[in-house]
Amino acid sequence: MSSVFKAAKGGGVSLRKMLGSERSVVEEWLSEFKSLPETHIPSYAGSLHLKKSLVPALYRVIQDPNNELLEPVCHQLFELYRSSEDRLRRFTLQFLPELVWVYLRITASRDRQSNGCIEALLLGIYNLEIVDKDGNSKLLSFTIPSLSKPSIYHEPSSLGSMALTEGALCQHDLIRVVYSGLHPQRETFTAQNRFEVLCFLMLCYNSAVVYMPLSSYQSVCRMSSRLCVCGFPRQQQKLWREPCNRVLLDPEFMVQMLTGVYHAIYNGEWEMGREALEDILYRAQLELYSQPLLLGNAMKNSLPESAPDAPRGRKVLQVEVTPTISRISISAITTASIRRHRWKREDADGMSGGEDSFNINDPDEGFSSGASNSSQPSGTKLGGSVGPRGGSLNSSTSSIKKAITARLSRDKEREREKEREKERETDKQAELSADLQAATRRHQQRQQSPPASINLDAIQLSPIKKHLSFPAGPTLVRTGSTSSSKSFDCTNFNLNGGDGEEHEEAGGSEREGLLAGGSHRHSTISLQEEHLLRPEEAQALLSPGAPLTKQSRSPSFNMQIISQV
Amino acid sequence: MTARKSGSRLETEIERCRSEAQWDKIPELVRQLSAKLISNDDLGELLLGECKLQTYLKENPIKQGTSPRVQRPKLLEVRKHLTAALDRGNLKPDYIQEASLLMAKLCYVEGEYKDALGHYSKVNLDDMQLAGAPVYRLSMIAESYATKGLCLEKVPAASPSLSNKNAGSPASNRSMTEREQEIITCYEKSGDIALLYLQEAEKALSAGIQNRSPKPGPTAQDQELGYFLETGLQRAHVIHFKNGNLTQGVGRFREILRAIETRTTQNLRMTIARQLAEILLRGMCEQSYWSPLEDPPVVSPLDDPTRQGHTHSKSYSLSRRPRVYSGENLFCPQENTEEALLLLLISESMANRDAVLSRIPEHNNDRIISLQSASVVYDLLTIALGRRGQYEMLSECLERAMKFAFEEFHLWYQLALSLMAAGKSARAVKVLKECIRLKPDDPTIPLLAVKLCIGPLHWLDEGECFAKMVIDMGEKAAEFRAKGYLAIGLVYSLKATDASLRSTQEEYQRKALGAFQRAQSLSPTDHLAAFYLALQLAVSRQIPEALGYVRQALQLQGDDVHSLHLLALLLSAQKHYHDALNIIEMALSEYPENFNLLYTKVKLEAMCRGPEEALLTCKHMLQIWKSFYNLTNPSDSGRGSSLLDRAIADRRQLNAMTLPDFSDPETGSVHATSIAASRVEQALSEVASSLQSSAPKHGPLHPWMTLAQIWLHAAEVYIGMSKPAEATACTQEAANLFPTSHNVLYMRGQIAELRGNIDEAKRWYEEALSINPTHVKTMQRLGLILHQLQRYSLSEKVLRDAVQANSHLLSHDRPKVGTSRRTGTTVKRKVVHINPHVTTFLQRLTEFEPNIKTVYVRAFVSTHRARCCGFYRWWFPAVSCLVI
Repeated sequence: MSSVFKAAKGGGVSLRKMLGSERSVVEEWLSEFKSLPETHIPSYAGSLHLKKSLVPALYRVIQDPNNELLEPVCHQLFELYRSSEDRLRRFTLQFLPELVWVYLRITASRDRQSNGCIEALLLGIYNLEIVDKDGNSKLLSFTIPSLSKPSIYHEPSSLGSMALTEGALCQHDLIRVVYSGLHPQRETFTAQNRFEVLCFLMLCYNSAVVYMPLSSYQSVCRMSSRLCVCGFPRQQQKLWREPCNRVLLDPEFMVQMLTGVYHAIYNGEWEMGREALEDILYRAQLELYSQPLLLGNAMKNSLPESAPDAPRGRKVLQVEVTPTISRISISAITTASIRRHRWKREDADGMSGGEDSFNINDPDEGFSSGASNSSQPSGTKLGGSVGPRGGSLNSSTSSIKKAITARLSRDKEREREKEREKERETDKQAELSADLQAATRRHQQRQQSPPASINLDAIQLSPIKKHLSFPAGPTLVRTGSTSSSKSFDCTNFNLNGGDGEEHEEAGGSEREGLLAGGSHRHSTISLQEEHLLRPEEAQALLSPGAPLTKQSRSPSFNMQIISQV
Repeated sequence: MTARKSGSRLETEIERCRSEAQWDKIPELVRQLSAKLISNDDLGELLLGECKLQTYLKENPIKQGTSPRVQRPKLLEVRKHLTAALDRGNLKPDYIQEASLLMAKLCYVEGEYKDALGHYSKVNLDDMQLAGAPVYRLSMIAESYATKGLCLEKVPAASPSLSNKNAGSPASNRSMTEREQEIITCYEKSGDIALLYLQEAEKALSAGIQNRSPKPGPTAQDQELGYFLETGLQRAHVIHFKNGNLTQGVGRFREILRAIETRTTQNLRMTIARQLAEILLRGMCEQSYWSPLEDPPVVSPLDDPTRQGHTHSKSYSLSRRPRVYSGENLFCPQENTEEALLLLLISESMANRDAVLSRIPEHNNDRIISLQSASVVYDLLTIALGRRGQYEMLSECLERAMKFAFEEFHLWYQLALSLMAAGKSARAVKVLKECIRLKPDDPTIPLLAVKLCIGPLHWLDEGECFAKMVIDMGEKAAEFRAKGYLAIGLVYSLKATDASLRSTQEEYQRKALGAFQRAQSLSPTDHLAAFYLALQLAVSRQIPEALGYVRQALQLQGDDVHSLHLLALLLSAQKHYHDALNIIEMALSEYPENFNLLYTKVKLEAMCRGPEEALLTCKHMLQIWKSFYNLTNPSDSGRGSSLLDRAIADRRQLNAMTLPDFSDPETGSVHATSIAASRVEQALSEVASSLQSSAPKHGPLHPWMTLAQIWLHAAEVYIGMSKPAEATACTQEAANLFPTSHNVLYMRGQIAELRGNIDEAKRWYEEALSINPTHVKTMQRLGLILHQLQRYSLSEKVLRDAVQANSHLLSHDRPKVGTSRRTGTTVKRKVVHINPHVTTFLQRLTEFEPNIKTVYVRAFVSTHRARCCGFYRWWFPAVSCLVI
């Protein structure tokens, strides 16, 4: 509970006067860099961490708002940050938690004047970080991986059951999400932009957190603990009792604090880190902020039981040789065993045992893996046509057709496997006919809407019509129908948006996974639909100047870019 | 079975049994074999030795972390067989190798590590062919590498170091490193070959089933790996991590995961995927990341600094490697969260497959195991997705965890929180109810539910219930008790706003006041408690008391925008308009883009500094609106970019516009006003024309509501300047956005009045009332107009409705209205008389009051800045008193 504050004592609250030796260390550092020729900067950067007494002395300066060295130190730290040398930037960055703490504490105490140079330093770092090398606004984005798309670690077919439920999430393509970006330059702090700036700064810190020294981890824990408890009853339980106003906190900022603390916990600051985690949770509960509560609970729940013992206290991971045998007894009923059971029963029913191909990977999930397979390439194909090149209706038509034919041929290979699904297929047929009725109804409704959408319908419906009039053997029809119904499912669902519920009711339980959550599916197809329905708007959307297509995902922010991987 | 098998057939059968570890069949096959040829005896000895050793190990498995040292008669027999096989030297070279390897394994099992190493030195493991080798031999080679590694770990470093015991010397250090390297290489080779073996075995198995056996038989069940292969697969990375060598550990993890999975490796993959994700989340960051297909950095902060420089690149090659996932367009993560997420999704799918669904007591342990392994994965998923703000996806993932969640508080709570963070409020409240049931003592949970109920959901009765739960906890709720009172106060306050009967309203106001007082006394350092108390006092006209508490709130939290706003409004209620304006300007310096403050500023400016200033503020608001919704382009589905383009174009136009220079003597104030006005007008129309095409039919309404409000404020200022034409234009802009808003209609009525078209005004007011029958200001105006039209009784009715609808409007003047019932004139006089006194404040307070919700949303709900309520709930600031 109190180790944060014990440790903080060493770090010194401003009450303690700076020692003369510390002062001289800082002064020497200040003058040394000024006289440093450009060419010596790399070697200087390499040797900076060797000055053992410098970092504590700098902490002392930062913590004391009345120290006359504060201004030159802030200035110098900014100069280091501006250099092109990563190590120098990281040297400055290690003080960020302390700077943020001092800034927020002074802001809460409404003694703004003495805060000027720290504010300037923070804003300076922020303004440098929001742009890339060419001066363009930085967009930080990442791809949400999808199990329905093969990766270097998996193949969709081997994760059969998952692919079904997962289907709802990642039906078609990988989604690229911007998690931070387009921040404007800031010249001053205001109450309104404060946490936008600080969140971004903490994001920068966290993106380099591995390079930070232990003292910085202590600082991040100290900052988090103090910001969360100061002015609250819990502060009375701490050794650090300096009277202080409550500091307003933003949930996003608390999430960033948690990220830093989480790292500290596993990289040497086990005790302080856990205490900080508790304090953040305490505050998040009082503020009723769901986001930090969510993350904090997850972090707390997954903490290992004991303190680290590894060198330097690192406990990122303790690995032992784990038995490869499932620890779950075979007799237990699991999701997998239910499927296996079903398969066995079908076998016993005399499903032409001899020529069966035995899918060793997942005899239990063969069917579902088929589903994931057949839905996946269409997504990829369509994804291609959303790009600036494939803008025209025709090309998308052909790509859909291509996808369907590709699937047809692939499905033939699986025909034998599909034999086993005969029973299920019968159900499927029933569903399909229900679907078809719905589709026809929808098709009729669509007659009144713009011609483009009718075209799209025609494209999507054609294989189904073919199936209806096709007198060939059952296998062919079946393969044709599964694949086309799949693509039909997806497209229609996206096309209709609001019709989703109706559709969901029509669908069997097998497909519930696919359909649930459909309203927030961000598929290429939904874009496609926009694109087809409103060509003139779509042009604007897809113009080369606008490479990112924005869609909402989370209520707070975020844009979605459909990647064209 | 009994039929004699021809030679080759027999050999195939033996090979198959060895590959499938069916040791029990070997003795019979050996019997058949010896019966055929004398020279087969040696082979028979080998097979019998192998089969006995393997059977022994199967029955007495070696536990991980223990070193076996057994000397049993059973193993003596094995040794006899193997020695016999080797001694005569009649065996084919392949079999001699096999016999030696088995011998080495036997030595290891007996604890004779040096002897084992001696045997390995006779057989050059690296020379053994991997390509074309029968499946069982792959397994044998893999086991041998693992065993060799184990032996090397046991035997102290090679001969020279035996004499050289002072470990500090650099020579011994180097040889230590080399030794370590050799050990790791052994394990890595063993692991690679083991993976290859498993892939081949599975292929053979499925082919075998296809070719021959009518039923899968017992072989379909999971194959056990055994101690040696398990060690070979995992010992390398265990050593890496033990040495603090994360970079190589990560590399090894990735190699194992990239190999195509087999049934036997599924569990291992699930564990490793999760562990790698843990490293990525706990020990790596964006800047230290390297992609799986890239070379790792030479110096990495991940590695133990004392051991740095010991890193080595992969120093061995194998003639055949396990097959890896390949193909076109393989997704390869480029970022640590990406990789962590991919791995966690894979682990999740596996954990889900193992979810134990039955609840019978015998399966309790299994259920706990499956829950634990899933729970870890879900926690990591939460951390990975949460730090990237992907709450929606997270809530979908946690939804899948529900099959584990029976009576599991943590999973339920996490689901509720994720739903809340994702904005799925209604469902979140349902899940929170279950959480309350599972953990009735935690005051946070009902408070979270209240927050949703009075925030986005507006379920006031439910909210009251939840708040009472917290209050009923009494002392147990500790610091949350005050929050409970605060919450119930807000519920009452909102109920008062919703109530139509005056008595009900007053009752709720009273209750709210009591609750806020309680909250404030329980938690005197909470600025929110002080603020809400001040607000409630203001609503009930206790202005001086309200001022006291709002000042207190500001002392506790000087930056709080709502306290500042309330302070300004209270000051304006006391007619300190200039002070109020100063406060607003101060607040605006901290919140330059806060529209609520700006609306109030427009009104105060119109009053203190004249309409020109107010118009400039309107223009400023438009600029802010554009830059604001341009930059943080809200979740504006799909239409964002086109809007963005327009907004950018607009900004250019606005920038090109010069601000009117009031100091210029040439343009006197009157003149300047009109110029300024016309310029503003021009700017307004430009924006308008650009927006007309995209009426806000879908997407979030908040930005559009703000824009409409700005227009209406401008219209109001123009009405104050007696400029009906401009006012009409502004109103029209708002009407383009929300044609059926009662505020727009009300404004039209005002304009008509200004033009002297009483009948038209009446029509507009009536329309406004048909949309919002309780819009007090409209009623008020309508009443006055009716009075002008000399329709006294109707006028009186409308005014009485107005009073009825809004208790606090004229509450302390009610008697006067009552006595003046006879003549409409008196009523009118009273109303007009009251207005200048009260309405300035009232108007702002009403203006403010719907913001209780906003305030609440801000303070309590915080993430939901956009309040998307029903149409009637939209509130546009009213315009009235200035005209009167």
